[in-house]
Amino acid sequence: MTITEALRITQSVPRDVRPFAVTLACGFTPLHLQTFLAAHLQQALPDRKVTITPGLYGNLVGTLESISGAALPDGLVIALEWPDLDPRLDYRSAGSWSVTAVNDIVVSARTMLDRIAAALLRIPAGPRIALSLPTLHLPPLFHTPGWQASQHELALQADVLRFAADVAQGARVTIVNNQRLAEQSPAAARLDLKSDLYTGLPYTINHADRLAAQLAKALVPPAPKKAIISDLDDTLWSGIAGEVGPDAVTWDLASHAQLHGLYQKLLASLADSGTLIGIASKNDPAVVAKAFERKDLLLRPEQAFPIEVHWNAKSGSVARILEAWNIAADSVIFVDDSPMELAEVAGAHPGIECVLFPGNDYHAGLAMLRHLRDRCGKERVSNDDALRLESIRRGAAFREQASGGATPESFLEQLGAVVTFDFAAVGEPRVLELVNKTNQFNLNGSRYTQPDWQKLLSGKGALLVAVSYEDKFGPLGTIAAIAGQADGNRLTIDTWVMSCRAFARRIEHQTLKILFETTGASQIDFRFTPTAKNGPLREFFATFLDEEPQSEFRLTRPQFQAKCPALYHEVREMRRAEAHG
Amino acid sequence: MDETRQRLTNCFQVVFPDMPQEAIATASTATIAAWDSVAAITLMNVIEDEFGFEMDLDDLADLDSFEKLYSYLQKRHQVA
Repeated sequence: MTITEALRITQSVPRDVRPFAVTLACGFTPLHLQTFLAAHLQQALPDRKVTITPGLYGNLVGTLESISGAALPDGLVIALEWPDLDPRLDYRSAGSWSVTAVNDIVVSARTMLDRIAAALLRIPAGPRIALSLPTLHLPPLFHTPGWQASQHELALQADVLRFAADVAQGARVTIVNNQRLAEQSPAAARLDLKSDLYTGLPYTINHADRLAAQLAKALVPPAPKKAIISDLDDTLWSGIAGEVGPDAVTWDLASHAQLHGLYQKLLASLADSGTLIGIASKNDPAVVAKAFERKDLLLRPEQAFPIEVHWNAKSGSVARILEAWNIAADSVIFVDDSPMELAEVAGAHPGIECVLFPGNDYHAGLAMLRHLRDRCGKERVSNDDALRLESIRRGAAFREQASGGATPESFLEQLGAVVTFDFAAVGEPRVLELVNKTNQFNLNGSRYTQPDWQKLLSGKGALLVAVSYEDKFGPLGTIAAIAGQADGNRLTIDTWVMSCRAFARRIEHQTLKILFETTGASQIDFRFTPTAKNGPLREFFATFLDEEPQSEFRLTRPQFQAKCPALYHEVREMRRAEAHG
Repeated sequence: MDETRQRLTNCFQVVFPDMPQEAIATASTATIAAWDSVAAITLMNVIEDEFGFEMDLDDLADLDSFEKLYSYLQKRHQVA
């Protein structure tokens, strides 16, 4: 991105959209870093007007210590550099580089890192924090020649890494990956000494742009993909199982097929953290079943579901897998070694991301593995992530039985369903994650940054309910969230989402019943907005309103009671004491 | 308006989006409050983007009006 492009991006935003205020804490003159950061954040938040407020020049820790609950920004970006730890590490400083001074610099840098860590801890909950560690070389102040790492230099670097590991432990601070940054901004091309000495900005334009891009991504990460559908022959393994036999396909080092083994390991790791893995292969089902019996397979068979193996078009397999998962194509990546198959699936499923498995091109293979991790990686893994695939399997069994001989009522009655309403879910990361990725049963499609979410829940009469569910088929985990405000006998709901895995169990009916009962509300106002995907929610409300809502609407308690079907759940409520007990 | 003058005007519009077009030709650091040291460096980089060459920070203090920048660009163009 050029400066001109960055300025045009920031100037093209309508003035009347909601602001997104970011404090930029750095000890140098932010100049282009500020411009590029605004532009990259603006691209990530097209519905917001990003404004960047730089902190105090030469006093990064002072900027952090001045952030208080009175005027919290939506985001905090910290571009740490060596001079922030000791001014003698600044090319603009006249401080001594004597041997004695170097010893003292290490000590004072350690003290400053402790002070910065303490300041970060004191920042009230709300703003998300992105932090980059020093990106520039230390000045040549150590007594060793530059090709030798000095003991002091190593001590400084070790202290910075220790500090980063400490502050990254909580969920609040996201640290920019220095190795990834180095690929885009080579270390030797980062410092512009003349700019540093003349203007106070030490960065070359390219480095300012690349660092800003990484900081923006750390502050506003893109939503991860939910699932991967993979081919088998010459993708999950090397070889055509139908030709060489299930025992002769390979994915190991000795067969020069390790890239396939690495791919299996990556899929297994992603499955462990909640990414759904499905299989779409043109193959003989019996041969594939044999291959999946092999004990040396690195992707465990139970980690993949559904497995579609036949000789028909893969677009049909993908359609059935999407239906089983109940997610949209744009949340999914399809991996195959055949460009023709990729094109066939892409044509039938607009929005799906198609990735070519690159055969024996190891450079491209590694790039693909990293791309898949980037697109599906998560900041944290929750218990619900581990439950997801199993609950989808159970969902398939649920649907099978539900569509069997028993009447819907008798089927629901014998489920042994337990719905738990958690009224103390503030701060649960899973709840916001659910809000930001659910499309179909979603009141209005609103997505929230952490600070927006915090603001919504800190308003007068704010209410947040997280809903979890289990029945004889097993637990579904946290599957719904409702946020709103209670005011006397009126309740306003700003957000209501429910995972598609929880459909057809009348959980949404039970939720409304509980909302009416626990708040004493006689009516509920829903801040509804139709979206391209929230048809299931519209259909649900049509059963009470006799037509699908078109805009914000109200549901009264008598309207609800008149149409609510029989509910068979055991209901449990969690309040604050239990939730924290 | 010749091409260089037009392209320089475009640069000013990028850096000072609120400045009326008719004020650009007579703009200087003395008359435009927004033309501070930060804007001067940004303007320099936008001119670099537009004209495809690097400018020297040492020249920055002297290039304090539209006309001076225009003359500077014409000279650079002649040298090139």
